[in-house]
Amino acid sequence: MPQVPLAGYLALASALFVIGAVGFLIRRNPLTMLMSIELMWNAGNLAFAAFARSFGDMSGQIFVFIVITVAAAEAAVALAIVVMVFRHRADVDVDEISVMRG
Amino acid sequence: MDHHIAPPIPFILFFPLIGAVTIALLGPYADRRASGFVGTAAVFMSFVVTVWLAIVVWHLPIDQQATFTHSRFLGYWVDLPPYLVISFRMLVDPLSIVWMLIITGVGFLIHLYSVGYMAPDKNYRTFFAYMNLFVVAMLLVVMADNFLWLLVGWAGVGLASYLLIGFYYDRRSAVLAARKALIMNVIGDVGIMIAIFLMYAHFGSVAYQDVFSSLSRASVSSLNWIGVFLLVGAVAKSAQLPLQTWLPDAMEGPTPVSALIHAATMVTAGVYLVARAHPIYDHAPIAAGITAAIGGLTALFAATIGTVQYDIKRVLAYSTMSQIGYMMLAVGIGAYAAGAFHFVTHAFFKALLFMAAGIVIHNLSGEQDIRKMGGLAKRMPFAYWTFLAGTLAIAGIFPFAGFFSKDAVLDQALKLHHPWLQAAGTIAAFLTAFYMFRLLLLTFFTGAYRGAREPHHESPWTMTWPVAILAVLSLIGGWLVLPGHDLISGALAASFVDTRFGQFLGEFNWPLSIGTLVIAIAGITLAFALYELKSGAREWLRLRLAPVRALLMNAYYFDDVYHYALEMPSYALAGFFARYFERQAIGAIPRALAGLASFFAGISVGWETGYLRRYGLSIVVGVALLLAFYFFLTSAALGGR
Repeated sequence: MPQVPLAGYLALASALFVIGAVGFLIRRNPLTMLMSIELMWNAGNLAFAAFARSFGDMSGQIFVFIVITVAAAEAAVALAIVVMVFRHRADVDVDEISVMRG
Repeated sequence: MDHHIAPPIPFILFFPLIGAVTIALLGPYADRRASGFVGTAAVFMSFVVTVWLAIVVWHLPIDQQATFTHSRFLGYWVDLPPYLVISFRMLVDPLSIVWMLIITGVGFLIHLYSVGYMAPDKNYRTFFAYMNLFVVAMLLVVMADNFLWLLVGWAGVGLASYLLIGFYYDRRSAVLAARKALIMNVIGDVGIMIAIFLMYAHFGSVAYQDVFSSLSRASVSSLNWIGVFLLVGAVAKSAQLPLQTWLPDAMEGPTPVSALIHAATMVTAGVYLVARAHPIYDHAPIAAGITAAIGGLTALFAATIGTVQYDIKRVLAYSTMSQIGYMMLAVGIGAYAAGAFHFVTHAFFKALLFMAAGIVIHNLSGEQDIRKMGGLAKRMPFAYWTFLAGTLAIAGIFPFAGFFSKDAVLDQALKLHHPWLQAAGTIAAFLTAFYMFRLLLLTFFTGAYRGAREPHHESPWTMTWPVAILAVLSLIGGWLVLPGHDLISGALAASFVDTRFGQFLGEFNWPLSIGTLVIAIAGITLAFALYELKSGAREWLRLRLAPVRALLMNAYYFDDVYHYALEMPSYALAGFFARYFERQAIGAIPRALAGLASFFAGISVGWETGYLRRYGLSIVVGVALLLAFYFFLTSAALGGR
């Protein structure tokens, strides 16, 4: 089985991260934005796993698990906020939710 | 007597302390009568232990009496050898025991009296908590073994006095009187503090034993200064000239308070202080001379004011001032035993007078103006007979207590070659007899009751019994010193072993005693002539002596002088600083700081848009810039290699 080089994984991870970042910046639906954030998380995860494999060091793999856990917690909190905002305003455009500004 | 069982001395202090705390914390959860019971019982238990202690100590040989309890060590307060060590020990020598017996004994009777007197009051529980607090602080004053603990108790009685004068806090006059008393007392506290600093500077210690055993290390002028500053404290607490104006106003407090604090015990703390510090005064002739002069002057000064006052409690307040003047005179000339003797008898008859007056006031629902009283002897025979006993005692009529103790003071003044002070005391004795009988006649005889409030209720036994007991003590209290037999000097000998004035009060100077008695009777006769016989002499005198009368009615205008000379300038100064310095100068600093903060806030507030995606963009741009910077750094490093 041919080995995929490290640079290939990193190129994919970079691509995923940029897609996530751009998606976060241009979409106004909070659910889509959350999915974009998820993409960025996983771009990072992919890079971690690739480096871990490449250097034969397991700590990168372990860090992936930690990131997945934190991402799950983040998604839970963010979805709860989104649900509450939707209940109050029947509208989920993030540009409308700017009452918290200083 | 079993000398091996030592009385639990600390409990004398702990009982009222526990009483005060218990009433304060648990009072609201119990029946209101419980507070009165706990407060009274606490003082009674202290009294029992004190009597036990007194019996044990006075059965010891004289050379062991003073050192009996120097080992009662309760702990360190400051433990910084070699600079300063302040331990808390209980000093119990005969001098303290005399005071402790009066504080707890008379204190118990007054607590019992208060159970009846204060019964209708809504703050009944608070009253007993304060009263117990006072007893603790006063016991601390006389049981401390160093000047610093004495000052703690000294300030404590000031606090209790302040709280109790202002007890009727919904009356403006009471609150003002309380404040006045506190301010005057704090002047005294500062005086004692300065004396303590001086003692530490000269002797390196503030414990009585250390100071008194190393007096030779200080010069006479230093000792004079220490004595004078201690005297400032004594004068403020004992309401002597020129810090006397708070005492008449202190009569705003409930009558049992006047009896306990402003007559029998607290105001004599100054006398105790001078007697306690007698080794200093023995070596400080100027300070001792000032003490005696202030005492003599105050005795005379207060007695003259007493002759024209119309408030029953104010007359008694001025008489207290005058009697404490006698005590100060005695301790100032070195007649410590005579001063202590007059303290004991005065505690009996003055507490009696206040409490009998309290019965009158109580029965008249708060009426205190003797112009509206009169003819009350038939309506209130009990109050009349007991008040009469107190009046005879204070006027110095044989065989009542005042006769013996006042003559002891005057006799000592003569023996120690102070004819002027003896003369002042004799004139004051004449005036005392006059104004006390004026008070008695106006209250109980002349005319008829003209007040708006009808006498209505009977006094409960808790009020009558203490008064009856004190009436008996006012009669027999003076018999502690009879010709050739002197219990007071004997009892106090151990405390005054080191003084250069050896005294024996039992040597009566009969011509002097009879002379004073005649003078007192002359005063009584004058009172009868002016107030009982319808001779017209009173009106004649009133017209002729109108300016003098105005002077006396206003207590020599001391209050006004203090108002214009001290109070107004300090108010003006404070007003000036408040208006200009405080607002313009000091206020500028916080205003500038606040302006600075809001300036920066104004800049940064623009960044807070509330748009989530803009925050996201900021993050991305920031990260991109950081990365670019990082790449620039690494490429520069690589290129430089």
